[in-house]
Amino acid sequence: MAACAVLLLTLAHFKILDNYIQAVIMFVGINIMMSTSLNLVNGNMGEFTCGHAAYMCVGAYVASVLSVKFFGTKMGDPLLPGSMAVFVFPLIILAGGVVAAITSILVAVPAFKTRDDYLAIITIAVNYMVISAIENMDFVGGSRGFQGMKNTVWAMKDFLNGPWMLFWVITFTVFTIWLIRRFITSTYGKGVNAICQDEVAAEIMSVNTNKIKLVNFMISAGLAGCAGGLFAHIIGYVNPQSFNILKSTEALVMVYLGGMGSLSGAVISAVLFTGLMEVLRSQALIDFLLSPATFIFPDWEPSAGVIKWVMIPLLLVLIMQFRAEGIMGNKELSDVFPKLKKYYTFK
Amino acid sequence: MDFIIQNILNALQWGSFYALIALGYTLVYGVLRLINFAHGDIFMVGAYISYFVALFLLGPALGLSPLVTFAIAVPLTMALTACVGVTLERIAYRPLRRKGAHRLYVVITALMCGLILEYGNLAALGAERLKFPELIDKVIWHIGGVTITNLKVIVIFAAIAVFVFLNFIVTKTKIGMAMRGISYDKFAIPLMGIPIDAIIVFTFILGSSFAGLAGLLFAMSYPILEPFMGMLIGWKAFIAAVVGGIGDIRGAFYGGFLLGFIEVGVVTIFPSTYRDLFAFTILLLILWVKPTGLFGMPQSTKI
Amino acid sequence: MSLLKIDGLTQRFGGLQAVSEFSVDMKGGELMGLIGPNGAGKTTIFNLISGFYQPTEGTITMDGNLTAGLKPHQVTSMGVARTFQNIRLWHDMTVLDNIRIAQHYRLGYGVMDSIVRGKKYREREERILEIATELLEAMSLTDVAQEFPKNLPYGLQRRVEIARAMSIRPKLLLLDEPAAGLSSSDVEDLIKLVRWIHENFDITIFMIEHQMKVVTSLCQWIKVIDFGATIAEGTAEDIQSNPAVIKAYLGDDNI
Repeated sequence: MAACAVLLLTLAHFKILDNYIQAVIMFVGINIMMSTSLNLVNGNMGEFTCGHAAYMCVGAYVASVLSVKFFGTKMGDPLLPGSMAVFVFPLIILAGGVVAAITSILVAVPAFKTRDDYLAIITIAVNYMVISAIENMDFVGGSRGFQGMKNTVWAMKDFLNGPWMLFWVITFTVFTIWLIRRFITSTYGKGVNAICQDEVAAEIMSVNTNKIKLVNFMISAGLAGCAGGLFAHIIGYVNPQSFNILKSTEALVMVYLGGMGSLSGAVISAVLFTGLMEVLRSQALIDFLLSPATFIFPDWEPSAGVIKWVMIPLLLVLIMQFRAEGIMGNKELSDVFPKLKKYYTFK
Repeated sequence: MDFIIQNILNALQWGSFYALIALGYTLVYGVLRLINFAHGDIFMVGAYISYFVALFLLGPALGLSPLVTFAIAVPLTMALTACVGVTLERIAYRPLRRKGAHRLYVVITALMCGLILEYGNLAALGAERLKFPELIDKVIWHIGGVTITNLKVIVIFAAIAVFVFLNFIVTKTKIGMAMRGISYDKFAIPLMGIPIDAIIVFTFILGSSFAGLAGLLFAMSYPILEPFMGMLIGWKAFIAAVVGGIGDIRGAFYGGFLLGFIEVGVVTIFPSTYRDLFAFTILLLILWVKPTGLFGMPQSTKI
Repeated sequence: MSLLKIDGLTQRFGGLQAVSEFSVDMKGGELMGLIGPNGAGKTTIFNLISGFYQPTEGTITMDGNLTAGLKPHQVTSMGVARTFQNIRLWHDMTVLDNIRIAQHYRLGYGVMDSIVRGKKYREREERILEIATELLEAMSLTDVAQEFPKNLPYGLQRRVEIARAMSIRPKLLLLDEPAAGLSSSDVEDLIKLVRWIHENFDITIFMIEHQMKVVTSLCQWIKVIDFGATIAEGTAEDIQSNPAVIKAYLGDDNI
C-alpha cells in the first residue's frame, strides 16, 4: 500500500496526474475518512446518527482559522514563518479533529439514555445548530464563508515543491483506517459491537457502556473533523452550508451502501460513491440517461447537478429494497476472500 | 400588552403549521414506529399541488372565482396529497414491511424518498420560485392595538379543528382503536382479524392529507413556493412532535405550538438569525431533561 | 462478614408493589434457590441486585459494601455475574469474543493503548486470551470457540452464557431460569454443570428456577416468593410440603 501511495505522489508531482485526477483522489480520501468514521457509530455501534457533517464543519472551521492565523493574512499578520507550515499543518488538522471530538459530547451524553429515533433527532439538531452558530459568527465570515487557508498550502509548496495536499490527504486517510482498525479489533473496541448487539448484556458483563459510547463518538467525530480540515484546505474556501444535512446524507449513503460495521465496506463504498458523484457530474451522461423523458417533454433541460441528487437517494432506496445489508454486509474483505488473510490479519 | 398579544397570535399561527405537520409524523410513528422523514416533503408537495389546483380552477378552463377555488382546493389538495402519501407507503415502505426488514432500513428509505421529492421537484420544475395566487381577500381586523387577519384565524382554526377531529378518531372510533393497537403490538393485530395494511393506509391518508392542508394554508400565508420549503419546517415539526412525546397526538399538537411560541419569542428578543439556533437548543434541552418528551411514555425494556 | 446481605428490599413501580421486604443473608458458598409463580418478582430482585434498578426501600450489601447508586457494570466488578432468562449472548461475535469482552472490567489498558499497541496492550491481550481459553477448556467449550452463538444448539448456548458469567470470576453467580427452554437431557447436563461449578469454585450461587427437579437436586436452601413477598423458606423437603407454597402454585404441573 505504501508503494501505491508513493507512486501516486510521484505521478502527481511530475504532473503526470492532472489536477482533476488529483482532486478526485483527494475527495476519495476525504470520503473514506467520513464514511469509516461514521461507520464506527452507525455501523459498529448500531446507533442512528444523521448529523455527521457537523463534526466536519467544526474541524474545517477550526483548522481554517488556525491556518489563517498562523500563515495567512486575512486575520492580521501571520504568526509563524512559512517555513514551519509543513510541520504545523498536521497539527492544525489534528486540532480541528480534537475540537470536533469535544463537540460530539453534545451528542454522546444524550446517547447514554436515549434510543435510536431520539438520537437521530438530536444529531440532526446538532447539525443545524453548528451551522446556525457559525452563520452567526461574523468574525469567520458568517454565512458568506471563510477563506485564506490556501496561504498555508502555498507556504508548504514554497518550502519544498510538491503535491502537499495529496500527501496529507493520503497520510490522514491511511491514519484513519489504521486507527479504526486497531481500535475495533482490540477487546476494548469490541465492547462497541457488544453494545450494538445487546447493550443490557454488555452493561452486566462489566462493559462501562457510557464510557465506551463516549469514546466511540469522540473518535468518530475527531476523524470527521480532520476530514473537514483537509477538505477546507483543498478547496481554500468554506461556508457553513457545505456541511448541512445533504453532506450528512452523503456520509449515510456511503455507510449503508458499504454495509454497517464493515470497515472494508466503508472504504469500498466511499471509493464507489466518489466515483459515482464524479460520473454523474457529466451533463452528457445525464442527457443520455434521460433522453426518453426529454423526448416527451422537449422543454425540459435537466441539470446534472440536480439529477445527481435524485439518482443517489434512489440508489440507496433500491439498495434498501434489494440488498439492505450493503455491499459487504457486516463482513470484511478478508472474510470474503480468505486468501487475503495471508497478507494481513483483520480480526 | 398589545405587543404580547400580537406575538401570541403570531405564535399561534406559526405554530399551527408545525402542529399540522407534526400530527402527521406522530400518527405514522404511533402506528408504524417509523419516522417518516419524507413527511416534510409531503407538506411541500401539498403546497405545490394546491398551487396547480388553484391555477387550474382559476384558469381559463374553469374560470372559477377565488373563493370557490379555495372551497374546492381544500378537499382536492388534501385528497391528492393523501394519494402521494399512500403511493409512498405502497412503493417504498410496504415491501420492506413485508420482508420484515429492520426498522432502520425503512427510516433510511424515508430519508431518501424525501430527498427524491425535493430534487425531483427541483429537476422537474426548475429553481424558479412560484407565486401562489391570492384566493381570499384579506380582511384585517384591529382590536385594540392588535392586528389580525382572517387568514390567520383560518389557519389557527384549522389546526384546532384537525386536532379535535383526530383526537375523536383515535380515541372514540374503532379504527382509532386499531391504530392504537398496532402501536402496542404489531403482530397480534392481524391475528385479531384487523386488516393491518388497511389501517396503515388509513393512517397515511390522515397524515398526508393534513400535511397537504398545511401546505395549502402555508402557501396562502406565505405565497412563495420553492422545492426545499418542506425541509427545515419538516425537521422542526418532527422535533416538535418528539418534544411533545411522539406517538401521542396531544404531544404533536402542543409540541407544534410550543415550537411556534419559542421561535416567535426568540425573534422578539434576539436578531432573527438566531432563531433556528435557539429553537433547536431549547428543544434539545427539553429532550435532555425529559427524554421521552412532554407527553411521551417511556419505553421500558424487559431485562 | 456476609457475602450478600439484603435487608428489607422493597420495590415499587408506580402503584405496583413488585417486591416486599425481601431479606436474605448469604455467608458465602451457598447454593440457594428462588422460586415462585410467574410475575412474583423474582427477576426484579435479580435486577435490583445487579444494579439495574435502584430499590425504593431497603439495602443490598456485597461484602460489606452497599450497592446503592452503583451502575450495573460497577456491581459486576464487585464480583456479581448473572445469566438471563432469555439468553443474551452476542450472536454476531465468536464464543471466544463473548468471553473476552466480559473481561472489560480488568482490561488493564485504555483507548490509546488499543491504538498504539505497545507492550502493555500485548501483554494484557495475551492474558485475556489465556483466561478465556482456559475457561473454555474447563467448561468443555474449546471446540466451539470460533463459532457464533446463533449457530449453536440452545443447550450449548446456555453453557456459553454460564461460561461468560464465570469468566468474571464472580463470588456470586445469579442464574435466572437457566433450565428454561432446555430439553430433558440438556437439563441433566445443566444440573451436572451447576453442581460442578459449585463444588470446584469458591462461589455462591443464587438461582431462579421453575423446574422443581433442578431446584430440588441442587438447592440447599430455597426461598419462595409470591406477589413480591416471601411466603416460605427452607430445604427442598420443607418447601414441597408447605401448604402456603402449594396454594401459591395451585395447578402448577411441576409439583
